[in-house]
Amino acid sequence: MRLARLLAAKLIAGIVMIWVVASATFFLVLDMPGNPAQAQEAQDILHGMTPEQAQRATAAMFGFVPKQPLADQYGHYLWQLLHFDLGQSIAQEGTPVAHIVASAFPWTVVLAASGILISFLLGVSLGVIAAVKRSGLLGDSLTLGGAVINGLPTFVIAILLFYLFTTIWALFPQGGNVSIVYDPGWNAGYIGSIVTHAVLPVIAYALATLGAWLLTTKSSVVSVLGDDFILAAELRGLRPLTVARYITRNAMLPLFTILAIALGLLFSGSVFIEDVFNYPGLGQLMISSITTKDFPVLDGAFLLIIMAVIVANTLADLAYPLIDPRIRRR
Amino acid sequence: MTATTALTPEQLQRGLRRSRQRTARRWALLVNTPGRALSCLILVVFALLAIVGPYLYPANLPINPKNIYAPPSPAHLLGTDFEGADTLALIVTGARYVLFAAALAALITVVIGTTAGLAAGYYPGLAGSAIMRVTDFVLAIPGFPVLLVLATIWNFGSLWEMAVALGVFGWGGIARAVRAQTLSLRERGFVEAARGLGLPGGHIIRTEILPNVAPYIGMNLMLQLTGFIYVEVGLFFLGAVPYSTNNWGVMLNNAVFQANAVTSPRALAYLLSPLICILLITIALVTLANAVDEFFNPRLRRVR
Repeated sequence: MRLARLLAAKLIAGIVMIWVVASATFFLVLDMPGNPAQAQEAQDILHGMTPEQAQRATAAMFGFVPKQPLADQYGHYLWQLLHFDLGQSIAQEGTPVAHIVASAFPWTVVLAASGILISFLLGVSLGVIAAVKRSGLLGDSLTLGGAVINGLPTFVIAILLFYLFTTIWALFPQGGNVSIVYDPGWNAGYIGSIVTHAVLPVIAYALATLGAWLLTTKSSVVSVLGDDFILAAELRGLRPLTVARYITRNAMLPLFTILAIALGLLFSGSVFIEDVFNYPGLGQLMISSITTKDFPVLDGAFLLIIMAVIVANTLADLAYPLIDPRIRRR
Repeated sequence: MTATTALTPEQLQRGLRRSRQRTARRWALLVNTPGRALSCLILVVFALLAIVGPYLYPANLPINPKNIYAPPSPAHLLGTDFEGADTLALIVTGARYVLFAAALAALITVVIGTTAGLAAGYYPGLAGSAIMRVTDFVLAIPGFPVLLVLATIWNFGSLWEMAVALGVFGWGGIARAVRAQTLSLRERGFVEAARGLGLPGGHIIRTEILPNVAPYIGMNLMLQLTGFIYVEVGLFFLGAVPYSTNNWGVMLNNAVFQANAVTSPRALAYLLSPLICILLITIALVTLANAVDEFFNPRLRRVR
């Protein structure tokens, strides 16, 4: 039952990571300039609340009571977190953070997922071409292009797309997620407006990870192409299709780890893409909560992003031994 | 490696010549295409800008409200910004913070990453897997959101703080690459021979293994530098860090969010200048990293 033990270890590692990040976030809030929780309580008292009321209001907002012993505060915070209670927003007073974060989440995930899908399909195909034609001009330019796109910051991509296609050529709307002239619902105008608003951000997401797919595919295919078993298969006169299958199965493996990395990249990228395109997802939520000093929302969005990445990583780790028998046997 | 038997002067001469030829060949590979030579040049120019840039212009750049978003002209080679300041001057004076902090962060990354990678690779037992647990953790955390949250606590006013924050979250990749190399190197004959001689582990790691992983560290470093520049400029661009100094990220923030240059076709030169600088550095570093990769990985070399 080595496999089961391996899977259990990965699962526990994931849970421990989430716990560490959650704890770190708790202590970060304590360390923030002026301790936002205490400041909030003082302000509430100033606004005419009794100290008890203020304490309750602050506890609802941050998930802990500032003046309690540290261990109690910490326990209270973790307990609330276990129930997906992330506290209440400061800027939109009284609204639960979980609610705000949950309404922003789908906008980020749908766009990022479409972006990953496009960049996966395009990047892997281009990577295979770059590997097969690696001694020619085509392979060289594909590799260089991939490397440059890979090194290009997401905000550069986002700004250039925005500037080129909404200002220089006004092909797409200038930011936002949907035009306000349509009634929300299943009508052609509303859906069409959502789609045209999503095109540029999705392209930005796709370009952000395209280089990683291309380069990994290329180097993975190149190293498999040089392997002895491929040479042996060719010498034995196996059909090209069979050889191609051998290559694909072995070259696929590193791509799988890239998927997890790409997810992390996209969540980091969402901060830039959503900020440039003024798109109401998690990334923009983080930025706006920094400017309005809405720390509970900032923490909530941050925790959700980190957890999404850790969960994706853990799933990739769990699936890896299932795909590659060599890892199971080690 | 020390010579155990005395060499005749002729042998010594021959050996020296051969090693000089080898160095020449390596150098030739680095600059053998115009692209690579140009990349070296670009990096040298930007390094010079970072060093002397701020001394070339007055501390407060002259502004001219009557000449905002001017197109490139002999007086303003890259045009002017939203308050009429010279864009070229902004670029030149803004290079220091970005490049110094990135270089410093890279240094921190190399020290932590190499140490962790070598130790984890050479002692693959309990110590090694403990180090790798921490490495995996650092790698799995998306660095940018973390830095964004950290920026609300420390505001990264000095480039030292920025460099430390970047370095502490950036060493995972190098550690993993170094560990993989070390794991395979420790099984090689020359390392086993050194172990057989009873040399201490620290000595073997320093003199036998480190020189062999150095190229991988160099390559990772170049790619990491682009990443650091990206993160830094990104933090300033988003306005998450209060800006005390002028740098490319501040320029972009002003251009996109404050002055609406992004919706004005006139601001083309102002908006594109920092972007093109980042692009040039990225291309140069990537090209050179490829050159290093190709040199040490013959499979990638062009078939002639």
